[in-house]
Amino acid sequence: MTAQRLLRGAYAKENAIILITTLEIFAFAITAGIVGSILGLGGGIIIVPALTLLFGVPMRTAVAASTVSIIATSTGAAVAFLHDRLTNTRVAMWLEMGTSVGALTGALIAGYLDQRVLFILFGALLAYSGYNMFKVRTVELPAEVVPDRVSRRLNLAGSYYDRLLGKRVEYQVTGTIPALIVMYFSGAAAGLLGIGAGIFKVPAMDQIMRMPFKASTATSNFMIGVTAVSGAVVYFARGDVKPLVAGPVVLGVLVGAVLGARLMVRLRTSTIRKLFIPLLVYTAIEMIYRGVKG
Amino acid sequence: MTPDTHHEAPTKHEAIEMVLARLLRLGSIIAAFLLAVGIGAMLLGHTVVAPRIITAGLLALLATPIMRVLVAGLIFARDKDWRFAFFCLVVLCALVAGILLGHEHVG
Repeated sequence: MTAQRLLRGAYAKENAIILITTLEIFAFAITAGIVGSILGLGGGIIIVPALTLLFGVPMRTAVAASTVSIIATSTGAAVAFLHDRLTNTRVAMWLEMGTSVGALTGALIAGYLDQRVLFILFGALLAYSGYNMFKVRTVELPAEVVPDRVSRRLNLAGSYYDRLLGKRVEYQVTGTIPALIVMYFSGAAAGLLGIGAGIFKVPAMDQIMRMPFKASTATSNFMIGVTAVSGAVVYFARGDVKPLVAGPVVLGVLVGAVLGARLMVRLRTSTIRKLFIPLLVYTAIEMIYRGVKG
Repeated sequence: MTPDTHHEAPTKHEAIEMVLARLLRLGSIIAAFLLAVGIGAMLLGHTVVAPRIITAGLLALLATPIMRVLVAGLIFARDKDWRFAFFCLVVLCALVAGILLGHEHVG
């Protein structure tokens, strides 16, 4: 009788712990979803450290949950961005060729390349784009852009309604081929180094294609779901996606992404840049450090 | 979702965004519903059925981007925008190859 009551008490306590942990994970995931959807990134930069350091989740489980949650960020936020026409679907499809074929190449040549060199190389590339972004940190929209020949032929120009400026923004796109090449290599690097490709996509559209920053983050957001899907399927097949961890993470990120997208369309470009630059610099330093340390 | 009063009259280019938005919203809603039910079941102590419902939700989410590329390709083909239909095909092939390659590595 007493033993049974004790047992029941223990169950209740265990249930309470599960409930609190789930709610805590959920809260972190919502934050990651908001940040990720505003910046056009996957949010792994928040989820992986939170799960491993605060909740003691094994690295593989954390990375797997984070990879699936990239799809949640992308899918949840894209609905609002598509309605506002912030997403440039043509640019997205063009660049997705680069990332997806690049990721495939990366998977094929993994093991033949020196990871340390790649870390330093791509870390330096990010640091450079962080520097470029810092130079134009107060610029709301890019100055007049002359489209290149490929951009004109592919009809990549876009327009969206900016809720903050209260006007329609029409823009041209340039650097079409160089951006595809950068996407190819960053797609390969993402596969080889296990880093999100969102952090390369935004600077590529912002600085090479000279798109408005909001259109760049929204289009990056649209693309990252497709970039993450092959990895996510593989993690699933390996059994690394643990439903009890990934479930609350993914649901939280989905909710956060829907909220973040509604917030983003009302934010100033300079505000979004100010959030983006520190993350860019942090990732650059981390990558170079990993490359040097080996 | 958002009022569309400030948008210009729909053109061929705009139609694709609305179709994809509807598709992605459907995917999010199905996934969110299954995940919420699964997490609820987990908290209520249904340890056998909860992981299965959550897994179903995650798989629904996983299918969404693949469907997105497929549907985009079909819309481009319908509009006789053959270049972009081809781009979608390239992405789909790369995705499938990536998944198969990954499986092979898992053994």
